[in-house]
Amino acid sequence: MTTAQGPGPAPRIILDEATTPAPRLDFGWEKAVAAVAPPGGRGWSTPALLGAGAAVLVLGLSLLEAGNFVAAQFDRAAWLGWLTLAVAAGGFGLVFTAIWREARGYLALRSVDRARAAHARGDVATLRAELEAWQARLPPSRARAEGLADMPADAVCALVEAKALVPIAQDAAALGRAAAVQAFAVTAVSPSPGLDALVFVWRGIRLVRQVAALHGFRPGIAGTVSLLRRVALDAAMVAATDVAVDAMVRGVLSSRIVEHVAGEAAAGAVAARRMILLARATDEACRVLPRR
Amino acid sequence: MDPLTLLRGVLDTAEDAARALVGRERIRLAVTGLSRAGKTVFLTSLIANLLAAGKGARTLPALSDAAGGRIRRVFVVPAGTETVPRFDPDAHLGALAADPPRWPERTEDFSTLSIAFDVERRTSLGGLLPDRQVTLDLIDYPGEWLLDLPMLRQGYAAWSAETTARLRHGVRADAAADFLAFVDGLPADAPAEDALAKRGYTLYRDALRVCRDTHGLRFLQPGRFLNPGPRGEAPLLWFFPLPEGAKGGLADLCARRYAAYLEDQRATFLDPYFSRFHRQVVLVDVLGALHAGEAAFTDTADALSAVASIISGANWLERLLGAAPTRVAFAATKADHVPARARDALAALVEHISFGARGRAEQSGAAVSCHAVAAIRCTEDAVARLEGQAVAAVRGVLLQDGRGATIYPGEVPMKPPEPAFWEAGLFSMPEFRPPRLDPAGASGMPHLGLDELLAWLVGDLL
Ligand SMILES: Nc1nc2c(ncn2[C@@H]2O[C@H](COP(=O)(O)OP(=O)(O)O)[C@@H](O)[C@H]2O)c(=O)[nH]1
Ligand SMILES: [Mg+2]
Repeated sequence: MTTAQGPGPAPRIILDEATTPAPRLDFGWEKAVAAVAPPGGRGWSTPALLGAGAAVLVLGLSLLEAGNFVAAQFDRAAWLGWLTLAVAAGGFGLVFTAIWREARGYLALRSVDRARAAHARGDVATLRAELEAWQARLPPSRARAEGLADMPADAVCALVEAKALVPIAQDAAALGRAAAVQAFAVTAVSPSPGLDALVFVWRGIRLVRQVAALHGFRPGIAGTVSLLRRVALDAAMVAATDVAVDAMVRGVLSSRIVEHVAGEAAAGAVAARRMILLARATDEACRVLPRR
Repeated sequence: MDPLTLLRGVLDTAEDAARALVGRERIRLAVTGLSRAGKTVFLTSLIANLLAAGKGARTLPALSDAAGGRIRRVFVVPAGTETVPRFDPDAHLGALAADPPRWPERTEDFSTLSIAFDVERRTSLGGLLPDRQVTLDLIDYPGEWLLDLPMLRQGYAAWSAETTARLRHGVRADAAADFLAFVDGLPADAPAEDALAKRGYTLYRDALRVCRDTHGLRFLQPGRFLNPGPRGEAPLLWFFPLPEGAKGGLADLCARRYAAYLEDQRATFLDPYFSRFHRQVVLVDVLGALHAGEAAFTDTADALSAVASIISGANWLERLLGAAPTRVAFAATKADHVPARARDALAALVEHISFGARGRAEQSGAAVSCHAVAAIRCTEDAVARLEGQAVAAVRGVLLQDGRGATIYPGEVPMKPPEPAFWEAGLFSMPEFRPPRLDPAGASGMPHLGLDELLAWLVGDLL
């Protein structure tokens, strides 16, 4: 773009009038590049809406019904009214306690997502708060990482991993091995394959809840269902990445029981493998920090 | 190519293939650039922005899009038992964010760092397979040492003849007046006297320093004369170019030291780090060269071309073994020194200054493209009034005293300037204070065009 007539104005520096230092430039970069929040509340699915509606109807109408009934009893005789009220209050109290417990168990699982999201964003303050809260919920006998307050994020994660998550993972693996031995034993003694399947499902769900308890979660029914969904998502990954599972299955199957019932080994091995996998996948799903 | 190099090439190629098979690719990215081109700052910004992008920040949108949003995580590969120092992006970032800020010191030694990406696989079957992990190997080093590469293909006599011829030309002749007087005064059969060797070395080194620091020249050899590195000066360095016809003991001594110097550089620097690259980015401070005058401009072009002939130029065998980079990007650095509308001109100009170097890369079958980037954007666009007319300029905060200033960088020609252009005189661009930065680097740092450069360079590998 130089013209043949000669050079344009020469380069130069024009200093500001003010002799005091100017503030550093600020492009608002942090805001411009901030991670877009993941699309929040996906809304309710149709079955969930149906279920919630039915629950409100059943509970609400029966509350109204009970109210009417109590009022009617008061009309008959005061003592009868009081007695009916006590019965109704006791009954509904138990129902609501159950609902409250379910909700708590379910919401506690959400804290895993929050902690992991904070970790992914690099939001140290939230991560620390979530980790502290999570550690507070752990069973009392568990070792905890102390003094997270003034540590950098990397160190916080490494410490929580080493102090709490690794021992939990070891215990989860132990639970998985125990369940594997039991599952294997069941195939050896049970009279029908149908019964086997039933026992496996029951033992599997129990295992998932046991491992969740290691992480400080006490899921109710809704919590367990949501947990199982998570586990299913993580299971594929665990299966694909983990050669350790195979080694462990071999370790379990060389135990005494196996020698006695070697004939049933095929079906039993599959079941045992599933239990070990399930324990690992549950551990994966419940971890407050992603595996390194 | 000697059999040992060939064997190593075959082994490396086998390793690359095996890694690709299990989804654990390793990309060696050569960040080449003459001294002060902006390599250290480029690496710092690259790493900070990649790590931030791995946490979901949109610091490198073009790269994220090129990877189809499949980048799951980015992390620094933990240190092993390397003997080479580690590139420390946190320290550099901390210094840039500090108040008052500091730019990185002149690089005196090698350092390396590897960045790994967890990338979701492309195919839908991928859900069942674990993520791929792509590792990007980066190294930082003194740019001066790069000029030792072309020396590897020259004997002492040829190098001496070429170097003294160059020294007798233009601004070099002034800078090297003392040295030239010294060598011209030596008898042709000067004895192998260490006092003479040392004297010649000192004069030659001082001439090189003046060429680099006062005249902005870059084709200055050998590299360790200007930047001796962590081991400092050794007797190995006590040599200098002698005019043609010198063949006494001193000439023999210089020739032996020349050979020993190259052997040492080859063993410690060039062979381990500069023999095999998958991708290459060549950083050029075009604007600095333009402002330093015609001599500096052509000298930079010559230096780039000489270096490229070794790094990107490959014979068919090297190409077959994957030892030559398949994509080479040429980037004008410090693009924030010019207003937005002049940045295209800057990219066009880098195309011209790297003409020789590009030719080498293209000959060996690499894809080539040109860019203008600012690793750290330190200015904003502004308008200056000069001689009654409004011109596009940039505004920034000066490094030294923290005063604000508007800088008119002059016209940026899109092709090598005509003689009249140089009459505008020399100009020295001031250093700027970086913008406000988060010392923890959670959101990387403001840049210009870094993402497009990376998308082109490595986007296809993710
Ligand atoms: N404004 C601006 N200046 C830069 C940029 N990159 C490098 N510089 C300047 O160039 C100097 C040399 O950069 P450096 O990375 O040390 O060069 P190296 O010798 O190639 O490693 C720095 O001290 C900065 O003043 C950039 O993106 N923008
Ligand atoms: Mg450097």
